Amino acid sequence: MKTHWTIAYKESAQMLRSQRGLLWVLAFSGLLSAFSLLLVSNTELSLLDNAQVVYMMSGTVLAAGALLAAILGSDAYAGEKERGTLVPLLCAPISVTALLTGKALGMLTAWGVMFAEATPYLWAVGASGQNLGAALLYLALFGTPVVLGFGYLAMAVSARTGSVLASLLSTITLLMLAASPFLIGPGLRGTAIGRALDAVNPFAGALNTFDSVIIDSEPFSAQFARLLLVVVWLGLCLLAARRSAARPNFQ
Amino acid sequence: MKKWKDILLAMVAMVLIAAVSAAAEAPLILDLRPDNNNPSAPVMGDHLRFWSTIMNTGADPIEGLVAWISLVEIDPGNEQPVDLEDWSAHKAVTGATLEPGQSLRTDWPMRLIKGGDYRVVVSVTDRGSHTVFTSPTIQFSVRQKPVLQAGRVLPVAAGVPLLIIGLMVFNKTRQRRKKVQL
Amino acid sequence: MISIENLHLTIEGKEILKGIDLHLQPGDIYGLLGPNGAGKSTTIFALLGLRAYGSGRISVLGRDPGEHAAAIRSSVGVMPENAGFYEWMTAPAYLLWYGRLYGETQSQRDLLPLLEKVGLGTQGHRLIGTYSRGMKQRLAVARALMPHPSLLILDEPTNGLDPKGRREIHDLLFEFAAERNAGVLLCTHLLDDVDRLCNRIGIIDRGRTRIEGRLGDLLAEQETDKRYRLRLEVEPEDTANLPAGISLLAHEGDWWRVQIQFEIPGGPSTLWGELWRRGWRILEIRSEASSLEELYLNITAPGHSHVQEAAI
Repeated sequence: MKTHWTIAYKESAQMLRSQRGLLWVLAFSGLLSAFSLLLVSNTELSLLDNAQVVYMMSGTVLAAGALLAAILGSDAYAGEKERGTLVPLLCAPISVTALLTGKALGMLTAWGVMFAEATPYLWAVGASGQNLGAALLYLALFGTPVVLGFGYLAMAVSARTGSVLASLLSTITLLMLAASPFLIGPGLRGTAIGRALDAVNPFAGALNTFDSVIIDSEPFSAQFARLLLVVVWLGLCLLAARRSAARPNFQ
Repeated sequence: MKKWKDILLAMVAMVLIAAVSAAAEAPLILDLRPDNNNPSAPVMGDHLRFWSTIMNTGADPIEGLVAWISLVEIDPGNEQPVDLEDWSAHKAVTGATLEPGQSLRTDWPMRLIKGGDYRVVVSVTDRGSHTVFTSPTIQFSVRQKPVLQAGRVLPVAAGVPLLIIGLMVFNKTRQRRKKVQL
Repeated sequence: MISIENLHLTIEGKEILKGIDLHLQPGDIYGLLGPNGAGKSTTIFALLGLRAYGSGRISVLGRDPGEHAAAIRSSVGVMPENAGFYEWMTAPAYLLWYGRLYGETQSQRDLLPLLEKVGLGTQGHRLIGTYSRGMKQRLAVARALMPHPSLLILDEPTNGLDPKGRREIHDLLFEFAAERNAGVLLCTHLLDDVDRLCNRIGIIDRGRTRIEGRLGDLLAEQETDKRYRLRLEVEPEDTANLPAGISLLAHEGDWWRVQIQFEIPGGPSTLWGELWRRGWRILEIRSEASSLEELYLNITAPGHSHVQEAAI
């Protein structure tokens, strides 16, 4: 078995086979259940258009995925260092690439579990409306590079600093900055600066794609620029992670 | 004194005549009609289409023409203009030029996001005039439809967490019972 | 197996290693000694390619760790100090997983003899998180041995173990070095362990090798008489009448300090027997300031001049 698969197996098993790991799976389903019940029980919300609801839920899944990736990435090197398991790992004959890839595959597994978990919820709120299939496809196509990018970024800071706290703080702050246009509202996003930030913000790119596809039913060809944005984001984060992982802070 | 009164009256009359003349001689005709295929009793989620026709009836070209669609909710107690962000991706036509006698026909597609009573109107202005011209309004009603079906949402909202809890219990039991057969 | 010459290494602008020499041959059990912060762990990390070195020469199993780190590590078993485990796993599952990183294809059943060797044979069903410190230490030794390495590097392997456990680990290391003609590099503060296990030692202090070579040769180079402390049941009646070759140095509390001047046929035990016959009811014997301890203390004393000997 190639070493990166061995690492990925351990990462996945740690999340999915340990009780502590399964708690996050439960917490995520709790979040989506609460969201769904709120939609059903509130008169105004239950009259929202299907597409609108699917868009909102897709955005929630993306945000939760990016947050989980930030947490897993922060733990990837610094957490292992703090628990004393990093040095034995580095003493084994694993290349830098294999270790990083294994960790990323573990993160991808977690994202896959979240996606699978979210699918019945998206079906439940969106089946009678439009573009549910497209929503799932674009959540996978755009959500995956955004989530993985945040994971790589967290791993880069984690390996460099050797501190879970430092890595979490910096990555989550960046995630909040990326999500802030949506917290601020459409008015500020419509300004020149707002539009410029939107153009380089991968999180905004993914959400705008969901809006474009799910609500406005626009085709794939209209999403090329945003797809390029999220792919470039992923590439840059991967480069940063490789650089830091080559000489991790392990003592 | 009487002389000044007469002059004042004449000036007011001239202004009024000019205004009436201007109104009587508006340089364009604006029309708005619903599409023939629009559902007769639309419900939330349906699509409607409206057609506007703008014709230049003046002697001069109209340049820098801007036409935009507006929607107002007129439910008693809920009267308000509607933000067309989610209703339509096509909200305006800009920069058009209409030669004398030329017409511009535009369609305005719209998705019905929310239930209620509405009026739709198309407004037009151009670079040269200081006037906004409006089309006739069209009033329509959108029926409410509870989009989220509790019968589908509730089983998922309850079932998925219960399934995961079941998995956790199974995992715990398996760990307790597991002996390494070495 | 390991050859380090004049190794210099800097971390974040600070020179940590300022001239390390180390030579380990197959079959050697090499004790690397030094005070805290001397650079022992950093030397180990340089051997494994985890720290880039500035100048000098390192060869591990014939390769430069700067270029062939992964290849070197595939033949080296390592037990780092304070190394942790994934506590949600059982020991066999962990060793099985760790072995996969080395390309091992054993089953959990195949690992039972190894677990029994380190004294964990009956604990395989428990999660590692429930292990005591000593049990984790044993598991760490098993982890180092599991990939059948040619070279074993151990940092404080007997920390947290009771005397019986320490002895078991010692026996394992002897067996390992002898069976496979492998090399063992042992970092420890416990001079008794070094005394018992090692045939070669190196003492480093403040980033430099102070002395290195065969233990017997190094000890023979410095004059060391054999001194012992004896704890007696009762005070002997006649402390002046001692066997030939032994002299009384002092009486300090419960302890009687004696010195053996020359080699006794049959070893010191002959003298203890003779003392017993003369009424010395000996309860405990301790080697006082074993010659290795003297050597270590002399070498690492603050005023000691920098002398680097490689008695290869």
